[in-house]
Amino acid sequence: MIEVSNLTKRYAGRTAVDSISFEVDKGEIVGFLGPNGAGKSTTLRMLTCFLSASEGTARVAGFDIYEDSIEVRKQVGYMPENVPLYPDMRVIEYLTFRARLKGLRHREAKRAVAEAMDICSLAERERSIIATLSKGYKQRVGLADALVNKPDLLILDEPTNGLDPNQIRQSRELIKRLGDRHTILISTHILSEVEMTCGRVVIIDRGKIRASDTPQNLIRRLRKPGEVILEVKGGGESARDRIEEVEGVDEVRESGHHGSWVTYAIRTAPHIDVREDLFRLVQESGWTIRELASRTASLEDAFVDLVRKGEASSGEKEATPEEAPPEDEES
Amino acid sequence: MRTFCILFQKELRSFFLSPLAWIVMALFTFLNGWLFASMVNAMRLRVSARSLVYNLFDSGWFWMAFFILFPLITMRLFAEERKMGTIEGLLTAPVRTAEVVLAKYLATVVVYLIIVVPVFSFFPLFQWITGEQAAFQSGALWGSALGLVLIGMLNVAIGTLASALTANQLIAAMLTFVFVMLHYFLGFMERFGLVTGSTWSDTLSYFSTIEHMHSLSEGLIDSRPVVYYVSFCAVLLSLTHHILESRKWRA
Repeated sequence: MIEVSNLTKRYAGRTAVDSISFEVDKGEIVGFLGPNGAGKSTTLRMLTCFLSASEGTARVAGFDIYEDSIEVRKQVGYMPENVPLYPDMRVIEYLTFRARLKGLRHREAKRAVAEAMDICSLAERERSIIATLSKGYKQRVGLADALVNKPDLLILDEPTNGLDPNQIRQSRELIKRLGDRHTILISTHILSEVEMTCGRVVIIDRGKIRASDTPQNLIRRLRKPGEVILEVKGGGESARDRIEEVEGVDEVRESGHHGSWVTYAIRTAPHIDVREDLFRLVQESGWTIRELASRTASLEDAFVDLVRKGEASSGEKEATPEEAPPEDEES
Repeated sequence: MRTFCILFQKELRSFFLSPLAWIVMALFTFLNGWLFASMVNAMRLRVSARSLVYNLFDSGWFWMAFFILFPLITMRLFAEERKMGTIEGLLTAPVRTAEVVLAKYLATVVVYLIIVVPVFSFFPLFQWITGEQAAFQSGALWGSALGLVLIGMLNVAIGTLASALTANQLIAAMLTFVFVMLHYFLGFMERFGLVTGSTWSDTLSYFSTIEHMHSLSEGLIDSRPVVYYVSFCAVLLSLTHHILESRKWRA
């Protein structure tokens, strides 16, 4: 659906997007992830033909973003960051205008607008003036606008930005449902959102792609030491040493006391589960246990790790420009 | 063409959805009505060799309102869309930049015409009320109408360009104001003694709005001003188009 090859955008004295390449297949929901100012919006604006690339190119739905700009724009439903809308217009007027602008005839437009309003639960506010709508409703109008001509591809730039937790949950559900019908590329810096909705994640930082994989694989690839929390009573002084003797345990730290309960934070080698052995130890020693939990790495850890690695490598790069990119970027 | 019509309709509607258009229309009509009445009064007190039509459009007072009118109706065209970010939705829809420019431009020209039409109704109205046969000659009236259309076309094009240059409506308005005024005063350079020599004053009189209006309001239609206004418009609009396109390549 989207093939990006060596896309670059240079602003005066600054490279916002630095020769990135990635692909999005038909039917995927892809999260485009990165810290603020990483080049997410710039990339999406190039894909939707709002900005021109300095170098490289991209094909969207089989059309080149230079050669067939109008065709590309017909295939894409785009919701820009912060959802700009005309404040003086009524919801239904605005959506009808947009539908007609996207090439729908009078009758089709009417039907398509009704359908889009239905999908985005806007029907009861169709006569409202956009300026009077709450942020959540405006966001839905923007989404209805993006999908009104039933494009194959939806590109949403931070669709949940500025919403309250309840609205974020609702719009997440909505995006998931839309995934049945559309290919979706969604940019965000909210990680939990990506973890829940996206089948694949492309992480961009300082204009470069750091990773592109499923959220699960990203977490797995993160060779972060495992951490297990154990809270017991009756272990006494020697408990720490005995836990340390369990196979696979690297380091044990007393992390808290609640009366006679002691909490241990246990570090293990990556991807090794020591919980069973720990339980046996507790059982054999006759301690009382009230918590045994493994703290798993989240997408957030993976993200922070990748961005930090990127920082380190770009620091090195300044010193030795020939330096190869870190191996993590491949595979 | 279809896209153009949709954009054109939307622009025209959004003008009349905002109170600005109505206020400008009312004040402009009031101002010119007052001016018309004063002109009639002045001609009653003093014998004039010129017609009422000529005198009205020769008056500096009439043009004062224009200096403000053009900035007011053009400043929001692109500046507002850029400020609000709606230009992003507009230009990522399957529309050509040229269609956007033309739709906005022509919608504004139509708004301008709607605003100035009442001025023309003064003449027949005056004749109907007073039964005065000398109120106007149709040649003079149609000539000056053509003049107002041409001047409107040019000045709206200036405003469109200024609005595409900046995201700030006030800056766009100031640019338009200064340019409209300078263009008008080109015709007065000689009178003020700012230029001397016949080459200069001859050249400047080609650009002089007031000179054009003089001949037109006597019912004399010269093709040179028509060519001048129309081609200048085309240049300004293609500049606007280039500016909007180049925005893609800039920071």
